[in-house]
Formats: sequence, C-alpha cells, structure tokens
Amino acid sequence: MMNISVKIGETVFPNPVTVASGTFGHSEEMYRSPEVRCLGAITPKTVTLHPQQGNPPRRICETPAGMINAIGIENPGIDIFIAEKLPKLRKTGVPLIVSISAHSADDFALMAEKLNVVSGLAAIELNLSCPNLQKKMLVAQDAQATAGVIRGVKAVTRYPVIAKLSPNVTSIVDIALAAEAAGADALSMVNTFTAMAIDVKRRRSKIGNFTGGLSGPAIRPIAVRMVCETAARVKVPIIGMGGVTCSQDALEFLIAGATMVAVGTYNFVNPRAPLEVLEGIRAYMQENRMTDIRELIGSIAR
Amino acid sequence: MSHILKTFPVVALEKVSDAYFRLAFEAPVLAKAVQPGQFIHIKVSEGWEPFFRRPFSVYRAQDGVVEILFEAVGRGSRLLTLKKKGDTLDILGPLGTPFTLPPAGVKKIVFIAGGVGVAPFMLFSDRIKAHKAEKLLLYGGRSRAHTFPMTAFKKNGFRVLTATDDGSVGVKGRVSDLFSAVAAAPSARIYTCGPRPMMGAVQAFARGHGLWGEASCEEVMACGLGACLGCSIPTAHGYRTVCHDGPVFDLNELVF
Repeated sequence: MMNISVKIGETVFPNPVTVASGTFGHSEEMYRSPEVRCLGAITPKTVTLHPQQGNPPRRICETPAGMINAIGIENPGIDIFIAEKLPKLRKTGVPLIVSISAHSADDFALMAEKLNVVSGLAAIELNLSCPNLQKKMLVAQDAQATAGVIRGVKAVTRYPVIAKLSPNVTSIVDIALAAEAAGADALSMVNTFTAMAIDVKRRRSKIGNFTGGLSGPAIRPIAVRMVCETAARVKVPIIGMGGVTCSQDALEFLIAGATMVAVGTYNFVNPRAPLEVLEGIRAYMQENRMTDIRELIGSIAR
Repeated sequence: MSHILKTFPVVALEKVSDAYFRLAFEAPVLAKAVQPGQFIHIKVSEGWEPFFRRPFSVYRAQDGVVEILFEAVGRGSRLLTLKKKGDTLDILGPLGTPFTLPPAGVKKIVFIAGGVGVAPFMLFSDRIKAHKAEKLLLYGGRSRAHTFPMTAFKKNGFRVLTATDDGSVGVKGRVSDLFSAVAAAPSARIYTCGPRPMMGAVQAFARGHGLWGEASCEEVMACGLGACLGCSIPTAHGYRTVCHDGPVFDLNELVF
C-alpha cells in the first residue's frame, strides 16, 4: 500500500497533484475528461467579485521555454460562478480549490462569505497578485497587506485558506512568514514573474497590456529555489508550481518541500500532463520503496 | 478531453507552390471526426522550442488521411517543412466550432479566401460536393507563388476566380475586386477566411447586400481548448476565444 494523500487544513486530498489556476479555465469541457477525475484537486480560474472582461489582445506571447500572459482575469464574477459553473465543476467529484481575487481586504472577505454558502469545497486560494489600492504595489508584494487580506478571510470562512504568493518580491520568505502568521493554512508558490517581450519590427510590446506574467519551464529553477527556502522556514504546507511539465519537475518541488504540486502552463501544451505527473510520482515512490508521500516531501539533503 | 491527443505518422510533404506546403498524415480517427472549419493543434517539435502547439485548419480529410496547407512564415511552420515520411506528429484535435453547413435550399455558396486562408474551404468543398447551389470561390493571393491549381475545387463544382496583387495569375488587384461576381442573391451564403483587412471588406460587402456570412479567424493560441483565454478577440458580444467559440464566427458579429 502506498499513501499519497496529503492534507491542507482539515481537507484531505487523495493525491498531491493539482492544476494551477487560470490554466484549466471554467470550461466544462476541460473537466469532463475521465483523466481529470484522477487529480488530487482542481483549481479553476480565479474569480472576482464582479465580472471582468479581461485585457485587450494580444493577451499571450510565446517566449523561450515559456510564455507571457496578460489575460486580465476574464471571468463571469463570483455570483455567476457559484450559480452556473460550480455545480458542473463539483460534479467531477474531485476536490475543488476555488481561487478568488479582489481589490480590497473587505471584498476578499465578502467573496469568502459568499463561498460559505456552497458546501463541499476543499479550500479557497487567495490570488494576491492584485493591485493594493493604498500603495503602488500588489497585495502580494506587501507583507502587511497580505496578512490583512488573510486575516479578513480567515475570520469569516469555513474553508482552509491558501495564500498564492507572487515571486516579484525581494524576499518571498518574509511574505510567506507573514501569511503563515496571519493564519494561512497553506501557501501556493509561485505566481508568474512580471515580464515583457518586444516586437522589434514594430517597436511595440508583444502584449496588449504592455507587461504580463512569465510562466513555463523557464521559471522553474527560480520557483524551486523559492519553495525550498520557504519550506525550511514555514510549517504550513506549500503547493509548489512553476513550469512543471513532467513528474521529474514535480518531484523537484516535492523534494524541495512542497506538499502538493500544480501543473500550470504546460496544460496548454499537453493537457494530459497532470495525469502523467501523478503516474510518475507513483512510479518514483515505488522505485525508491517509499510507502508514504511524506517520505518524499522535503527530503532534500541539506 | 473528448478530443483526440495522439501521435500520427507523416505520409507526405509536398510543395504545392513556391510559398505553400501540403502535409499529410495518417489519422483515420481524426479524418472521421473533423468538420470543415475545425483545426488541429500540432506540436511541431519535441522540446520546448517553439513552446506552443501550432493551430492549422484541416485542408482535407479522406481515406484516413488528414492534410494541412500552410505557408512557412514562422518558426513553427518552418520546422514542419523539415518533416519526412514516417516522422510522427503529436496532434490535439479536432478543435473549435466548425462552419455551418448550408441548408439544401441555398441557391448560392460563396467562399472568399485570402492566401493560405483557403485551406478550410478545400475540406468544406469536399463535404458539400453534392450540394445543388451555384458554388463560387473567390481567391486572393500575393503572387503566383501564393496560388496553386485549384482543380480539386473545380471538381467539386466550384467556379474559381483569382486575383493577385501583381496580376501574375487572374485579375490584378484584390479579392474585393471580385465581389461583383457575387450578384445580390438574398439566399447566398458567404464564408470567408483570410487576413483581417480582407475579412473586414467581406463583412462590409455582406452587410451592404444583407447577406448571411461566416468567417474563420486566426490568433496566436496556447491551449486550443478554451481554457487559457489567450486567443480572445473582440466581438459584438464581448471577447470570445478563437479556439473554442471560434474559429468560425458569425461574420456580422466580428469587430474589425
């Protein structure tokens, strides 16, 4: 017998593999496949309090071993999400991590309250890469603002809270410690790296929004380092992500100290990647005679 | 996914003109499933360069063989020109919303294509071969290099009119110079695929004559499945994904 189930807050996930928010959309079609039912959790695209139409094109651009995106969190808003999208997503039977984002701590809390009405969610993930209206930075770039949002949500929600951290900071460990102290049940790391690419012929940004977020294998070594440093300092579980394409990549995150791992951008290239990652983790554990995933998590030689 | 994700062997690669290539691979399941206007998403190399798959309209699908028509304009398509018989291609498809097939009563069917945008119309013409309507293909290309003998269209009952920028084939000018051939017939159906300015001209023409139309659009794509929302374009109903809501849209709803 092999135990690969993991725990965040009081929620048990059957295995450690999920998908990064924004890479599986809300489309029923993506979730209909029998392969999706094998995942440890699914994390649909971030929803906001009000509907958002997203950024003007061009929204994506290919880069070496990755991509830049500035989609602009196009989504129908939380009310329509709860009424129309969630019932279908829940039908998959896979634990659901609902990713939310808002423009203020109050709005984050309001959204968490709305989700209290829904039963059977696995966790709420806070997408903190949103503008912090008081200061000219993202919430996720400010330890105090990060803590404020988490405390506000923790005060009202009945679900475990996962804080998704931005790598665009001087010290991600400091933000992680602040998030943990504020009551976060887990950390998702990392979100995309602010980036740009220029069309030299037209001397314009290749992205309609001027800048965007870099993701894909290009960022993986940085993400692994950040997870490794943070895991050594916090007690809460980490969902590691950043350029995972196969089980070897996922194993790096787990060995670095992540409890779960998410496939993100590579879903766009190989929609079967999350399942291959899961199979590969099982095979690795078997080869190394491991019976519990906890033998793997954080097993890096220090 | 309800789509097919599999590797298929290349059976032929051929140059059909100085600019265009035709790539054929054996894929009976795809050939059976694909509808005109749908596309397939091809991983053109094994590693991460280029990173995204590349979307191609299906040009033909018969006898278990699927074909695409493409121009080697970028990194992805240039790599495809190096494929040899026996190589395998990792393909996801068929994807996207197909063209609406013309009902039996339609009197006139007009395809208006620019450049390699002609690709989906070959499969479409195969599928409506038996349709009794008057059938017309208006084709615009840059020069002789961007045209090829459209005998297969003719075999499928299409009259083919060509315009080239330099006059090397057909009329010298643009495909819009051929619009006069579409005499106002209220039940005429217009289907178009090509550069955006061309499709904008087709939209203006169709609106002016009150004609029904559909257009197949192109955009840089990542997932091809409607998940990433990366290929969204503005429409009368807000942003819509080219890969999932399209690539075929109601001509009137597009914003050029």
